[in-house]
Amino acid sequence: MRPFLILALFLAILAFFLVIYPLAAIFGDLSGEKIWFTLKDVEVWQSLKVSFGAASCAALLGAVLGVPASYLLARGYFPRELESLLNIPIVIPHVAVGILLLNVLNQNAFLGRLFAPLGIHFVDTFWGLVVAMCFVSFSYVVSAALMGFSAISEDLELAARTLGATPWYVFRRIIGPLIFPYVMRGFILAIARGVSEMGAILILAYYPKTASILLYERFENYGLSQVEAITALIVCVSLFLFATLTYFSYRAVRNA
Amino acid sequence: MLEAHLKDLVGTLEFEISLKLSARSYAIMLGPSGAGKSHTLKILAGLKKAHFAEIKLEGQNISHLPPEKRGIVYLPQKNTLFPHLDVKENILFSFRARGQKVPWDFVEEVIDTLRISHLWRRGVKYLSGGEAQRVALARAICSQPKVLFLDEPLGSLDFHLKCELVEYLKLLPVRFGLSVLHVTHDPWEASFLAEKVFLLEKGKIIFEGSFSHFLRQAPGVLGRSLQKFFFQKIDSGEGRKEFM
Repeated sequence: MRPFLILALFLAILAFFLVIYPLAAIFGDLSGEKIWFTLKDVEVWQSLKVSFGAASCAALLGAVLGVPASYLLARGYFPRELESLLNIPIVIPHVAVGILLLNVLNQNAFLGRLFAPLGIHFVDTFWGLVVAMCFVSFSYVVSAALMGFSAISEDLELAARTLGATPWYVFRRIIGPLIFPYVMRGFILAIARGVSEMGAILILAYYPKTASILLYERFENYGLSQVEAITALIVCVSLFLFATLTYFSYRAVRNA
Repeated sequence: MLEAHLKDLVGTLEFEISLKLSARSYAIMLGPSGAGKSHTLKILAGLKKAHFAEIKLEGQNISHLPPEKRGIVYLPQKNTLFPHLDVKENILFSFRARGQKVPWDFVEEVIDTLRISHLWRRGVKYLSGGEAQRVALARAICSQPKVLFLDEPLGSLDFHLKCELVEYLKLLPVRFGLSVLHVTHDPWEASFLAEKVFLLEKGKIIFEGSFSHFLRQAPGVLGRSLQKFFFQKIDSGEGRKEFM
């Protein structure tokens, strides 16, 4: 047993090292001057705003579309095999996702023409970012909500109905509060996935620039030494936001 | 009085049931697993659709009504207390759902009868199995139904708690004016509670009558094995001798 534990401990330390070392190393090479210039760089803050704004909209859209689908899957209205269909976006290479979306959302395609009269265009726009991020992050909300609905016994709903509650009241007072922590977790994961997306938005919506696009562009133009401070800032902002969201999500679980 | 005629097809099982449940009575539906007992309750409560269902409660056809308007409360086998609400909010759920004013005298009578007043503000996570079942019963009674369906309410309790809860269940028809249909596959429960027994096998009621008739006349392999079971229990002094 002892050699097994030592091996497990070694591998676990290696796993933590793999995550923490690159994060820590980026801060090691930073000078005060670089940090100051980055903090004053309006384009960096703008790109962070675009990234988190679009990723939040995408996660919200994913929740609106994904939670009912998860409910229907969990309660057997849809065959459970359809869950795999909803997970397809995870396995498609992201550049291919961009091409698939560009193919149906460009201004000559059916969907592109359908939304154009409403003033909604997708190529190189904020809406393009939202759709691309939603496509790649949607599965996270579906999986989290599906896990939640599977954990909530259908008997709770049946009992509530015969106690005089309408379906809407059951959703508002019973299912909603119980499913919320699960959806919140999926929502946070979806935002994280959306913020880190690069391939699909590179093809569909290069502009407005997200943080990952800006990083890529600066790296291509100026090299590694010029993007370390921006990378560190983006990492800090991302970690802070996810830590805050995760804290509230766990608090919601504890209170449920 | 509840009268129902149901026809359905569940997988390959043809399901045809006619039953009558008197007002303020306690009936037990016995049968092996897979006989269709829970399925029957869910159709009657409006929680499942059947190919054909004609259900009358006190002469009024309720077949077309949604579950919340039928006057039937279904208490499933598993613990269905709402885990994010405390005991008080669970018990008052039906009044909140219907937007009704809480009749406190009635609620107090129910919680005193079931001896759960000391649990009033407790979270349901902190209730024992027996307490949870009593709270679930109180919640069901407080919704003031005409008929109460209990789906194996004693199934997950140990013998001591079963004996305790049986005493509370016995009170329901007289004290609260309810008709109770209690589904179980444990004939011991029937021996203590049943005024009437329905024996269900393969989607059909193969016997309907009083418990004493049931012991003498229950048909089929199941009936014979139940009779054998009870004669053994009675011989060992555990059953109700007055039926014999």
